[in-house]
Amino acid sequence: MSDENSDSAPPQDRIKLNVGGKLFETTISTLQSGGPDSLLSLLSTRPDPSHNNPIFIDRDPDIFSVLLSLLRSNRLPSTALRRFSHLELLDEAAYYGIEHHLRSATSPPPFSALDASLSTTLRPPSHPFPSAFSAVSDDGSLIVAHGGQISAFDWTLSPAGTVRTHAEDISSLRRVWSETAAIGSSSSPGLHFYDVSGGRHVGSVHWSDPSDPRVYKARVGALTDSADSVFASFECPHRENCILSVDKSTLKITAEIGRQSGGSAKATTPEKLSHLPDHHLLFGCAISCGAFGFSGYVRLWDVRSGDVVWETNEPGSGRSSRFGDPFADVDVDPRESAIFKVCSKSGDLAVVDLRRLGEDPWVYLEEKNPSLRNPGGGGTSILLHCYRKQVFVSREGGLEVWSQMEEEEGTVEASPCERIYRRNFVDKEEDASRGVIRRMEGGGNRLFISREGVEGIEVWESSNFSGAISVD
Amino acid sequence: MPPYAGLTPPSSGFSPKKSDAKIITINVGGQLFQTTPQTLEVAGPKSLLSTLSKTTTFTHSRENIIIPFIDRDPELFSILLSLLRTGNLPSKAKQFDLEDIVSEAEFYNIQPLLISSLSNPSQFDAFNLEKSLILPLNGRDSPSAIATTAFGSVHVAHGSKITSFDWSLRRKSTILTQFSAVDSLLALSPSVAAAGATDFSGLQILDLEKGFIKEKLDWENSTRSSSTVQAIGSAPGFLFASFESDRRNSNAIMVFDMGEIGFRPVAEIGRSEIYGAELDSGIPATKLEWIPEFNLLMASGSHGGPFGLLGNIRLWDIRSSNATWELKEKVDCFSDVTVSNSLSAMFKVGVNSGEVFMADLRKLDRENPWVCLGDGRKGSNGKKEGSNSKIQSHGRQVFCSKGGDLELWSEDIGGSRVTQMAFGGNKMVLARKDQQSVEVWQSSVRI
Repeated sequence: MSDENSDSAPPQDRIKLNVGGKLFETTISTLQSGGPDSLLSLLSTRPDPSHNNPIFIDRDPDIFSVLLSLLRSNRLPSTALRRFSHLELLDEAAYYGIEHHLRSATSPPPFSALDASLSTTLRPPSHPFPSAFSAVSDDGSLIVAHGGQISAFDWTLSPAGTVRTHAEDISSLRRVWSETAAIGSSSSPGLHFYDVSGGRHVGSVHWSDPSDPRVYKARVGALTDSADSVFASFECPHRENCILSVDKSTLKITAEIGRQSGGSAKATTPEKLSHLPDHHLLFGCAISCGAFGFSGYVRLWDVRSGDVVWETNEPGSGRSSRFGDPFADVDVDPRESAIFKVCSKSGDLAVVDLRRLGEDPWVYLEEKNPSLRNPGGGGTSILLHCYRKQVFVSREGGLEVWSQMEEEEGTVEASPCERIYRRNFVDKEEDASRGVIRRMEGGGNRLFISREGVEGIEVWESSNFSGAISVD
Repeated sequence: MPPYAGLTPPSSGFSPKKSDAKIITINVGGQLFQTTPQTLEVAGPKSLLSTLSKTTTFTHSRENIIIPFIDRDPELFSILLSLLRTGNLPSKAKQFDLEDIVSEAEFYNIQPLLISSLSNPSQFDAFNLEKSLILPLNGRDSPSAIATTAFGSVHVAHGSKITSFDWSLRRKSTILTQFSAVDSLLALSPSVAAAGATDFSGLQILDLEKGFIKEKLDWENSTRSSSTVQAIGSAPGFLFASFESDRRNSNAIMVFDMGEIGFRPVAEIGRSEIYGAELDSGIPATKLEWIPEFNLLMASGSHGGPFGLLGNIRLWDIRSSNATWELKEKVDCFSDVTVSNSLSAMFKVGVNSGEVFMADLRKLDRENPWVCLGDGRKGSNGKKEGSNSKIQSHGRQVFCSKGGDLELWSEDIGGSRVTQMAFGGNKMVLARKDQQSVEVWQSSVRI
């Protein structure tokens, strides 16, 4: 409670501020809630013998009143974003040293695909068709590769720099540490590191093997990173391929994992890589669609030894319960210790518990809703993406989510295979008609989607506001 | 009405020294406000403001005056002070988002006043309804059930999700349920609802804020199969659910006591089992409505057979578990039935005639209690004009939807077919076929 009913006539913890000619009165504890380093809390601790004289701050009083409301009630007045631009508020909050307050008040609520809608579309400048993008999972910022350039968007989704790279097109992209992106190109060899905000080239890594003359001009297929390493799959013109582990601090190759000839579908370059820190595993998969349908493999390597821990190939042998229905896409959820696959013919979703791997460990998720039954194969463009306990499946342009039922309070954590999943559409039909989804990735409290032949990147967010439309 | 208590007579001028009335001065965020303790006490005992009026000592000497300080926004406070003074929001409140006023009212703990000012059921004026808001729903599912609370919060079930809108319709939250579609939904409080489906066993009491199941209620039927929920109703302290066994050969209405310890089954009424082809002997109730004036529960159900729609309406005394009255509907069976407590009457829409009929609850012993309110000659031509019609009473009005129209005996509202209808606060909420949104109709409000 901030009301002051104390008997001492001039209250000691009250403070008067004169901001740009307008008088404000508040308490020291309110100002100090801005954090010990903020300008406001420094002002509040200033020894002031004549405390009736307001402290003068030469800034705009209207924006200050918004920020004072933020400190008082921990929420931004909803008129604030109509009266002031986000950037204006951010600059002013930075002046007073309370950006993180503004940040927590303006960032979207935890992403729930059950109640998400398209909030904005980001269009990178000059060449608006994105070829790859990478979201940052903690704050919802994004880097986008578009026609040989990399553009960064910060957590408010405002542009934060563009760098032109040497590559003509960028096919894989990953933010590996702050401001620095690792890129791979399908047209030029090597793994390259660029500082996006500084606009400069940081370093390059090439795969070489002095004992094998066939290893040259290797291009990067997929990228991922762990806390201290970057993992990139390299492929030579002769299809010889492997995964290289590159140390983040020295940019030197530390290990070569899973080298193979690339001669068959079971030995092609991994096109999706994920690092599972809890299990010290590296997940990789390669799935190709040919004249006879989908084929490919899913493999787990032990990062420390480089050995294959588990692998499955599809179309597999006839012993598989779903023979003839190979996966169209696979993704791993590191937090849930589960691998999900979507079948190419039936369109069904299946899950594997990473702690119970075996010969045919897939558990197929049941669709109980009659109106959603027969999801359909979705042609050749089915994508799967796991983010925050939710599994997103795109079929052509449509986007659906499989969500877990909330556990009752106090129950034991069940295995991902034993949970109840419910399937729902995230989008509406008019969203699906915009184009085939090419890539989706979750970051922060957002889901980013790019579509084939469509400019820009869609940003989906959930909101606590009803979005009621007035009819007048 | 307290507002005049603090007004000093004009002759004495504005001088706190002379006046006998107690004036409280409050400093809110640097701005001074003067009001009377009576005005502040309108805020209610739980409010910060009424404690302020009690703890402040009134000293008439100017030097010792102690001005209580509240570290909040002064402009929003001035609006809430107007609310305390007059019971209504001032017109300058339009400059602010309702969202901000609501959260400020929460701080001072005077949201009941704000609710009664903006969403009072007494403001519901059936002849002056206009479409005021459209609440969009995310995803592709159309609403399958709507539930409202007395002061206007709205819960919409669409697909396996339930989206809840607060009374100001500015904030929402969505939870996932185990149902593939919720067919009956009843709000027990703004954060708790009972939900059931005709294709999923059991009645679930859901926590709409956290999204988990508080309790699962079931009916022990004779075939020992699970049972689905056909309808939900409630009376003060009681929850009713019409269950049908999965094999669809037995049904009953369960009465649950809503106590502090949870839901306790207290009675099973109207259990019926179907043997052979006598289908109309055991039609499950698909609508349950409590009639407080008579302490009776209205249960109605219908069944489409080869000879048209057959239905029955029963009025149950839940203490004795006996049906006090029963009506079998064969000719021009109801498409939907409702009871209006304040009119002491029951209303139906005939499935063939599409006309509205009324039955006086005090004179039910007649052979045919229905009195046609429209053109009584219809109904013999065999057309099904009233199929898919809905009827719902609210206060002293009866609303009947036919196709896309909604009639209140004069009013027509165009659009695609109305599938759901609910009333709460000063609002009427409608869902239409294949629309991923709900419409809110409201009498014009002073803000």
